[in-house]
Amino acid sequence: MKIEVEGTEKYGTDSYVDLFNGILLDVGLTRMVEAVRFVIKPSDPLFLISIRTRKAPGLVKVSDIADISATEGGTMVTIRDETYAPTLISVLWQKYGRERVDQLTRLELFCRGVPEKEILDLGLDPGEELKSKILDAIWRLLPEGFKIRHNISSERITTVAATEHEMKKEWIEMAEKIHSEMEVD
Amino acid sequence: MYKVLMFDGGVYRINELYELVEDIGGFVIQKTQVQVQIIVTIVIPEEDLAVIEKKTQELGGKLTEVPLAGTEVAVVAPTLGRHHMPHPVCDIAEHLRRYGAITVVMGLARGKGRQTAQISADEKSTIEEYDAAVFVLGNFEDCITKEKVRLFENIEIPVIVACGPDIAQLPGCEALVTGVCRKVERMRRAEEIAKLEEIAEALGKIVEVRRRRVDEDPLFVHPAEMKQRIESLEAVQKSLRPAPIVLHLDGLRVKIPFEEWKDQLAGIDIFGHRLGDVSRISGARIGGSTIIKILTKSEVDARDSKGTASTA
Repeated sequence: MKIEVEGTEKYGTDSYVDLFNGILLDVGLTRMVEAVRFVIKPSDPLFLISIRTRKAPGLVKVSDIADISATEGGTMVTIRDETYAPTLISVLWQKYGRERVDQLTRLELFCRGVPEKEILDLGLDPGEELKSKILDAIWRLLPEGFKIRHNISSERITTVAATEHEMKKEWIEMAEKIHSEMEVD
Repeated sequence: MYKVLMFDGGVYRINELYELVEDIGGFVIQKTQVQVQIIVTIVIPEEDLAVIEKKTQELGGKLTEVPLAGTEVAVVAPTLGRHHMPHPVCDIAEHLRRYGAITVVMGLARGKGRQTAQISADEKSTIEEYDAAVFVLGNFEDCITKEKVRLFENIEIPVIVACGPDIAQLPGCEALVTGVCRKVERMRRAEEIAKLEEIAEALGKIVEVRRRRVDEDPLFVHPAEMKQRIESLEAVQKSLRPAPIVLHLDGLRVKIPFEEWKDQLAGIDIFGHRLGDVSRISGARIGGSTIIKILTKSEVDARDSKGTASTA
């Protein structure tokens, strides 16, 4: 992971880099982050972070990661690839509600009254999950009082500039510049 | 001056220790018995340490000094949010307990941010009920030296500041420990534990100075002795709160409601005086507790002579 830091205080910036590494470890993203840039100027006050992730795996069809079979009263789903289990369960719960999706064992689900075809057509997007985890890591890292934020997001890059009172135009421009530089790097 | 010690040994002949402590004018603060093992916290006059050491040796126990015993310390963070609160604050509070202090973790309502960080008068008064406060601040020098110093200015108890950057000194605090910053994990590495030790040591020194200062004009009774008298109160015995009576350097916190119990408390006999006459009793800022500040011997004498004069 490539880390670039720009700041007015060495101790503060170094400790925030350590903190960021710890947070990435906590949310399980260490291997997914390719590059990070920090601009930390407490006297302004400005905290800017731009993160570039690796390319997330594309859309995965449910039929690729689980065995699906129609049974009486619904569809039985047996997960083959465990890594997708939490995402698949949350997608099914979101779509059909908890009362219609029973988790029989760790990897076996029964969807009551759901046609087999509907589940076969379902797709999981790991990119969405990655994005939400990145945002979670950023919220954990940002200084608590810096509530005024400007966010820029593209496919692989997320940039957040945060301050305490008023977001200056030059900071927004700086965030945009850093964001576009991260695209090129 | 009194010294607080912890005896760790067996229950066999332990009564001999209790009797000796009583004979030399000391007190037993706490007894924790686990089967045949017992840990006893005692307060004894400093000059009688050798006698107690001899008795401990005779009983086959171990005697350790607990420099912060008999104190209640507030560990204050700018907020209770995860940005400030979890690891350093809890680790510091836990480490101070190992040295005998009762610690309370506190988060300010509006302490977040840089310029927006503030402390209310109410919060300051709450903190001032404790013997000392440890303020745990952040990673940036600019933020601490220019803005966060306001959080602990004019606090009338000793303040220790723990923060990240290597700052030479800060106004308004009695000790400063640097190298303690925001963390996402517990402080368990050797250098981190050394920092916790540094904080405990700094607090130990401050407490020692305060104890000596209190000793210059001694209290009418030692808080531990007053604790023994108050313990007999029914409300205290029925209290389910952990440590219903907490010792302070110059008094006590009794965890029973002030309004309901102030008269009974004031009526307790202390060497022929009413407790209300030898102390100032008030309600604590944190509900359901009472703060007792013991008057000094000279204050009580002055009151007594004034009373006698007016009777005459």
